[in-house]
Amino acid sequence: MTSISLSGITKRFPGVVANDDVTLTVEEGTVHALLGENGAGKTTLMNVLYGLYEPDEGTVSVDGTERAFDSPRDAIDAGIGMIHQHFMLVDSMTVAENVVLGNEPRKWRGLRVDREAARAAVDDLCDRYGFDVDPTARVADVSVGVQQRVEILKALYRGADVLILDEPTAVLTPQEVDDLFEVLGELTAEGKTIIFITHKLGEALHAADDVTVLRDGKTVGALPTADTTREELAELMVGREVLLDIDADAGAPGDTVLDVDSLTVTDGDGIDRVADVSMRVRAGEVYGIAGVDGNGQAELVEAITGLRVPDAGAVTFDGEDVTQRSRRHHIEAGMAYVPEDRHERGLVMDSDLVANGILGSQRAPAFTTGSRIDWQSARTHATDVIDTYDVRPRDADATAASLSGGNQQKFIVGREFERDPDLVVVMHPTRGVDIGSTEFIRERLLELRDEGTAVLLVSSKLDEVTSLSDRLAVLYEGRVMDEVDPDTVTEEALGLLMAGQHPEEQ
Amino acid sequence: MSQDTPRWRRAIARLVDASVKERLVISVAALVLAVAVGFVIVTLAGLAASCTTHPTIFGVRTPSCYDPFAVYSELFLGAIGHPEQVLFGTGTWTPLDFRVASLLRSTTLLVFTGLAVAVSFRAGMFNIGVQGQLLLGALAAALATVYAAPLVPGGVVGTLVLVPVGIVAGALAGGVWGAIPGALKAYADANEVITTIMLNFVAANLAYVAVSTWFTPADSSLVQTATIPAAARIPNVPFGFQPRDNFSLLGLLFAVALVVGVAYLLARTSFGYDLRTSGSQPEAAAYGGVKEKRTMVTSMGISGALGGISGAMLVLMVQGRWLSNLPQLGFDGITVSILAGNNPLGVGFAALLFGVLKSGSAAIGFGTNVPPALVDVLRGLIILFVAMPEFFRLLGGRLGVGGDVDA
Amino acid sequence: MRKPDRGTLMAALGGLAAVVVALGVVFPGSVAGELLGIASRPIMAEIALRLAVPITLAALGGIFAEKSGVINIGLEGLLIISSFTAVLVAWALGGTTSAALWTGFAGGVLASVLLAGLFAVVCIKYEADQIIAGLAVWLVALGLAPFASSVVFGGKNTTSINRFSEWTVPVLHDAFVNSGVGILSYVGHVLLRANPIVYLMFGAVAVSWYVLNHTAFGRWVEASGENPNALDTAGVNVHRVRYASVLVSGLLSGMGGAALSVGHVGSFVGNGTTMIDGKGFIAIATYLFGNYNPLGTFGAAMLFSGLESLQIGIQQFTPYEVPSQLIQVIPYVTVVVVLVLVGRTRIPEAAGEYYESGDDR
Repeated sequence: MTSISLSGITKRFPGVVANDDVTLTVEEGTVHALLGENGAGKTTLMNVLYGLYEPDEGTVSVDGTERAFDSPRDAIDAGIGMIHQHFMLVDSMTVAENVVLGNEPRKWRGLRVDREAARAAVDDLCDRYGFDVDPTARVADVSVGVQQRVEILKALYRGADVLILDEPTAVLTPQEVDDLFEVLGELTAEGKTIIFITHKLGEALHAADDVTVLRDGKTVGALPTADTTREELAELMVGREVLLDIDADAGAPGDTVLDVDSLTVTDGDGIDRVADVSMRVRAGEVYGIAGVDGNGQAELVEAITGLRVPDAGAVTFDGEDVTQRSRRHHIEAGMAYVPEDRHERGLVMDSDLVANGILGSQRAPAFTTGSRIDWQSARTHATDVIDTYDVRPRDADATAASLSGGNQQKFIVGREFERDPDLVVVMHPTRGVDIGSTEFIRERLLELRDEGTAVLLVSSKLDEVTSLSDRLAVLYEGRVMDEVDPDTVTEEALGLLMAGQHPEEQ
Repeated sequence: MSQDTPRWRRAIARLVDASVKERLVISVAALVLAVAVGFVIVTLAGLAASCTTHPTIFGVRTPSCYDPFAVYSELFLGAIGHPEQVLFGTGTWTPLDFRVASLLRSTTLLVFTGLAVAVSFRAGMFNIGVQGQLLLGALAAALATVYAAPLVPGGVVGTLVLVPVGIVAGALAGGVWGAIPGALKAYADANEVITTIMLNFVAANLAYVAVSTWFTPADSSLVQTATIPAAARIPNVPFGFQPRDNFSLLGLLFAVALVVGVAYLLARTSFGYDLRTSGSQPEAAAYGGVKEKRTMVTSMGISGALGGISGAMLVLMVQGRWLSNLPQLGFDGITVSILAGNNPLGVGFAALLFGVLKSGSAAIGFGTNVPPALVDVLRGLIILFVAMPEFFRLLGGRLGVGGDVDA
Repeated sequence: MRKPDRGTLMAALGGLAAVVVALGVVFPGSVAGELLGIASRPIMAEIALRLAVPITLAALGGIFAEKSGVINIGLEGLLIISSFTAVLVAWALGGTTSAALWTGFAGGVLASVLLAGLFAVVCIKYEADQIIAGLAVWLVALGLAPFASSVVFGGKNTTSINRFSEWTVPVLHDAFVNSGVGILSYVGHVLLRANPIVYLMFGAVAVSWYVLNHTAFGRWVEASGENPNALDTAGVNVHRVRYASVLVSGLLSGMGGAALSVGHVGSFVGNGTTMIDGKGFIAIATYLFGNYNPLGTFGAAMLFSGLESLQIGIQQFTPYEVPSQLIQVIPYVTVVVVLVLVGRTRIPEAAGEYYESGDDR
C-alpha cells in the first residue's frame, strides 16, 4: 500500500526553482532512499512533505488522502516525523525533556510537567525498539549516535508512522552507520515507513528497498534497488558518466616543512581535545587526517595555524618554533589555511570580494603603503583570483554572502593558494560544494603539491582523504590512532580506527 | 559593476553603495515617521494639559491646548531664527543669528560624541559610556588649561599652546577611561554595554568628588572648577558670531576634520580594516591575523578619546569651566551614530539634524507652551524607527516603492 | 585566565563578610565593629529589601525575555514608563486612598506591558537589532515620562502622593517582635511587617522559578532561546513563545517600576536619568550574575541593594565624613568587578538572533 505520494511538486525561491514537477511514491513498511547531489532539491522536497514549506504547485497525499500541511504540527498530526541533518535538540535539556518537547505530559491541571511520565514514555519506546538510551542524561553529554536515536524517539513519541531522515549518516562512524541501518530494519518490521535522504550511492543501495533520484530539482529516476547498479545511479545523479575514483599519482616529498611534536590542547573543562599528537608534513606531499568530526581535528588545526596556543608540545614551521607566535606571524611566515567554516571564518560575509581578497594580507607590503591600504592593488588581486579560480559571478564588488557555497569556497581556496605558501592547511575543502567545484579544488590541491608545497588535509570524507593523501593519520578522541598507507588500507580498517579500535584487536 | 568603470566612479560607488543608500532612505523615513507620531503626541498631550486660551488652527479653535504646527514651526524654523520672516517681510534675519550659533554649537559637540559611538559600533562594541568619557575629558581639559596657563604667555601664543593642551588632555583622559571597558572585555570577557553604563555613574561621582574636594575655588558656592584662562578658549575665527554665543567656526572646522579623519581611518588604513572586520565578524578577523584583543582596546581607546575631545570642546568653546551638570551629549551621540548607520560621514549630517532639534527645543520653550522635553521623545522615536528597517521594507513593498529600498 | 565559578565567588564574598563580622564581634570599637553594628539593625535589612524590589522584578523580566532569545536591554525604559504612569494614574484618582494607589500600580504595569509589546513587535515581527531596539525603548521612555510629567504637572517631577502602607502578618508579627529572642524579633521586624512590594517580590521570585523550571511554558522558553529550530519542528510557534516572554518581562518590570514610585517613594522624579537611575541596567547585571536563575538573581540583587543600604547606614549612623558620592560608587564598581570575575555568562545559544521560521508566517 502506498504510504506517501508526492506528485507534481514545484517549489520556487527567489531566483531558483528548487523542486520542478517532482514525483515521489513510497510504499508502506519500506525504506526509501532519496538520492541526489547537494543542491538537487532533496531537502526542499522533504521540507514540503513536513509542512515547513508550502509547495507552489503539486499535491501531497498520505495513505491515499490528499493533505495540505501549513506547519510541521499538521505533518506531525498526520503521522510524519523528521530527523534533520542538524539535530533539532536542546543541548541544555535532558533526553526525556527533548523527546516530549511541545507535547509534555502534565499534571496538576496542566500546571506542572510530569517528568516521571515523560521518563516512563521514553523507557517504553526504548524497550519496544531496542534502543539503549538514558532518558535522564543531558543531550550535551551524549554521543552523536545517541543524539540521533533521541531524534528518532522524538518522532516515535509523536506517533510518527513515516520517518524522514535527512543525511543520517553524515556524522556517524561506519560502525554507527551499521547500527543505524539495523534500527531502520527494526522500525520497518514494526510497520514504520522510512525515507532517507542521502548523496551516498552505497548507502542507498545497501539500506533501501527503493530509490528515487533527484537532479537539479527534477525526478530523474525511481527504481527498486534490487534492479540497479552503482554505475547507473551515479549517472542518474550527475547526469553524465563519472569516474568514481580520483587516482592521484604519488607525490615526491622533500624536506620537513611542518613538525608537530607532542601537541596537547585542553578545553575549558580541562579535557584534552588534542592529546600528545606528533606528525611531520614534508614539502611536496599531502598528509591526510581522517576521523569522525569532533575528535580534535578543529583544535589541532587551530593550534597549528596559530589561532590558539596549545597547552603542551611544539609546532615547528620551516625550522622556526611558532608554537607561541601570533596568527599574523603564521600567515606572514607562509602558512595558508582554508578553514572549515567559510561563513564564520573564511569570509567576511557582508564585505565584497575586494576586501575579502586581502583578508590575512591587510598589512602585507603587496597591498599597503605604510599603514594605508592600496585598494587598487587589492582589486586587481581579487579580480585575478576570480579569473584564475573560476569564481562566479565575475564581479569583485559582489558581497561574499551573495555567492553560492562552491564559489565562496573557490574564492577562499584561490586566495590562500595564491599566497605562494610553503604549507597549506586545508580543512573539509569540499564540504557543501557542488561536484564541479569539488573536482576543480581537488585538482588544484594536487597541482600545488606537485609544485612542492606541503599540504595538510583534514576531511571526514573517506574517499577524499584516501585518494588525495600520500600518508594518512586517523584521529580519535584527540589521539592519532595510527598512521596508514592510504593506497592499501581497507575501508573497514579505517572505520574501526575512526571508532577507536585497532583492527587486529577484533 | 564592470571592471572598466573609471576609478573615481568606483570610489564614489564604494562610498555610496547600496547599503548606504538604503540607510539614508531608512533614516529619512524614520525621521518623517517620528515627526508624524510626534504630531499626534503633541495633539493628545494638549488635551491633557490645562490652558486658558486654546490655539486656533486653520480658523478652527481646537480642544487641544497645543498647536502642533506651531511646535514644528519652532522646531525647524525657530531653530535657525525664523529666516522665513524675511520672505514675509515680518522681520529680519542674518545667518549669524544666535540661534544658528546655538544649532552649530550643538552640531559641533555632537559630531565628536557621534564619532565616538560610531567607532566603537564599527568595532563591534557598544560604547554607552561616552557620557563618562566626556565628563572626564572635560575635567582634564579644564584642569590642564588652568594649571598650564601660568607657564605660557598670553595672547595668540598662549592660545596656540593652551588649546591643543586642553584637547590632548581631554582626549587622553577620555581615551584611558574608554580603554578600560575595552580591556575588561578583551581580557576578562566583561560585557561592555553594562560596564560602560556603570562607568558613567562612576565617572560622574568621582569627578564630582574630586572637584568638590580639591578644585572648587574657595569663593564658589557651586561645585565647579576655576574658569579657564581667556587664551585657552577656542578663538572666534575666521569670522564672528557674537562672543556670547559660545560658538567658533574653527571648532566646527575641527569637527569636520575629525569626520574626514575617522572616515579615512576606517576605510583606508590597515587598522581600520582590522577594526571593521572584528566588528562585523570576529572569527574571520582572528582568522585573518587581526590581534583582536589589542584591536578591542585600541578601538575603545579611540572611541573614548573622541568622547574626551567632545568634553574638552565643551569646556574650551562653551562652558569655560567644568560644572557638575554638563549636558548629556554622550547619550545623544548614541542616537546620532545609530541614525547615521555608524558611518562617519553620516555622523556629520545626523549631528546637524540633532543640532536643529537641540536649538529647536529651546525655540519651543520660548515660542510655545509645549514642554521642550518633547524633543527627547522625538529622539527616542527616531531610534525606534531606525531600528526596524524591515518595517520600512514591508511598507515600501506595500506602497510599490520597494525597488528603491532593496536596491 | 581561568574564571572562578559562581560558587567560589559567592564563597569568597561570604568569607569576606564573615571576616568583617568576626572582626566586629571581637573588636566592637573598630570600623568593622561599627559596620557590623549598622548592618545588624533591622532597618538596614528593611531598606535593602525595598531597594531590591525594582531591580529584582526587572531582572526576573529580563530572564524571561533573554531565555526565550530576545535580549531586552530596555528594562530601564520599562521601569521608567511604569513608575511614571503609576503615579499619574494614582494622582488622577486622588492619590490618597489605597484603591487609587493600587489602580495606579495596575496602570503602571499596563503601560510597561504595552511598551514591551511594542518592543516585541519591533524585534520579532520587524527583525530589529535587539540591542538598538532596547536602547530605543529606554530613550522613548526617558523622553516620554518627563515630557508627560511636564504636560500634566508643569515640571519633570510629579507632585507627591501617598504610598503603600505596610502590611503586617497578624499575631505572628507581635509574637515575634515581643518574643525577646534577638533573631525572632529581627525576623519579626524585617519579614512580618513590610511594604507589600516586598511580599510581591518574594512571590514573583517563587512563581518565576516555578514557571521556568516546572511548566511546559518554561521548557518552551528555554528551547526557544537555546535552539528555536527544535521548538519549531516540535510544532510550537517560536514567535508566540517569544512574544509571551517579552510581555512577561514587561509585566514584571512594570511591577518593579510601579512598586518603586507608588509603593516606596510616593512620586516620580524625572530629572536627568530619572529616579530609575540605571536600576534597569543593574538588573541586567544581576541576572547575568545569577545565571538566569530567579533565586540566584534575587541573591545578586540583594547584594547590590545591601551595599546601597549600608551606604545609607554609614551616612546616617557614623561620624565618618566620606562624601556620599564616593560611597554611591560602590554598587556600580561592584557590578563591574563582578562582571570581570564572572566573565561571560553563557548566554542562551540563540539570544539576540532573529528567528525566521521555515514556513512563511
